[in-house]
Amino acid sequence: MSDRIVRRFADRLLRGQSTERARPDDFEAEQMKTAIELRAARLGSDAPREDFVSDLHRRLAAEMADDQTPVDHPRWAPRRRQVVIGGSVAAASAAAGLVVGRNLLAPTPTQPEAEPSTQGELEPTAGTWRPVGASVDLPEGGALSFDLGSVNGFVHRADAKLEAVSGVCTHQGCKLWLDAPDSRLRCPCHSTSFSLEGATVTHQLPVAPPPLPKFQVREINGVIEVFAPTKSV
Amino acid sequence: MTGAAYPNWDAVYRDNVTWVYRLMYGKVGNQPDAEDLTAEVFMTALRPLRVSATVPEVRKYLRMTARTVLASYWKDRMGRQVTLIEEDVPEVIEPESFASDAPDKVRQLLHRLPDHYRRILELRFLQAFSVREAASEMGVSVANAKVLQYRALRMAAQSGEEATS
Repeated sequence: MSDRIVRRFADRLLRGQSTERARPDDFEAEQMKTAIELRAARLGSDAPREDFVSDLHRRLAAEMADDQTPVDHPRWAPRRRQVVIGGSVAAASAAAGLVVGRNLLAPTPTQPEAEPSTQGELEPTAGTWRPVGASVDLPEGGALSFDLGSVNGFVHRADAKLEAVSGVCTHQGCKLWLDAPDSRLRCPCHSTSFSLEGATVTHQLPVAPPPLPKFQVREINGVIEVFAPTKSV
Repeated sequence: MTGAAYPNWDAVYRDNVTWVYRLMYGKVGNQPDAEDLTAEVFMTALRPLRVSATVPEVRKYLRMTARTVLASYWKDRMGRQVTLIEEDVPEVIEPESFASDAPDKVRQLLHRLPDHYRRILELRFLQAFSVREAASEMGVSVANAKVLQYRALRMAAQSGEEATS
């Protein structure tokens, strides 16, 4: 029977099995296409399985973490894996106008538009303006750390504007340290890092930790002040 | 929202995995292959993705990657492209716009067939009846139902070809 290829294809399709190799002619391929359209039109059949979605997420997290090169790590190690499909992916990227050499986790100097909208402002119920340093100690592009007991964090000056963020990692509460040369706030616990603006830059966790909360910050008479919870004595 | 970017790969994945899977499922019609192809798209696309790419750029890039991944899948399995992802993306790039027009197309297709052909395809493909169940529903033998199904598929493919050409 000349329609054996199509019969076999349709049988497997209707059993929900993957497609086997075959060499159909034009009309057989057309029948396969029709069978796929019919099968895909079944109500509710095209929702991805929950297990699949979370499993793929884990695989991607491992893959992306693998690609991260910690700053103090020698760069001689070859990339473990590069998925390339006959060079055609490069063509796809070019067509989409996105020929790029950096991944999403690679540190970047600035990425203002990548600021997640979920970054909250730390607003204590009862707070006061507390001095955290002198203006002269914070030049343009610089950053300094402060610890007010109830809260700690980092304030930095960029484009003549002050910004202050929490100094506690949003993952499990470890205290961040200032990596000034790299303009990063780094977590000692799980290699997570944040930008000075508080955005999550690199992490090796299955789910990205949220960005750091911001403080209100101001500069008055040569003193930098942060709005922090009133000390409970 | 045109200037908006994703904060990280995780956000890219969460926002796009469902439509990429649906797109692939609509093109291959089975879950195992749709899952493999979706995984391949993200494994391939995420690493080189530019951090500042906007949301529409990322979606376009994912779609182009999906197109390439599907093409190489068919080339390997069948030596030809049985189905393909169109290159021209609608200007308004929202995940919903990627949803296929398959249900409408299928309805028209079935409409053009004689009653018993339409019925066997509806029962088997859309309503998940086994051959046995479909045969008993239609009051024919199992062997008869099988023959009906393949003839119906042939005719549907033929009429589909004519409708598009």
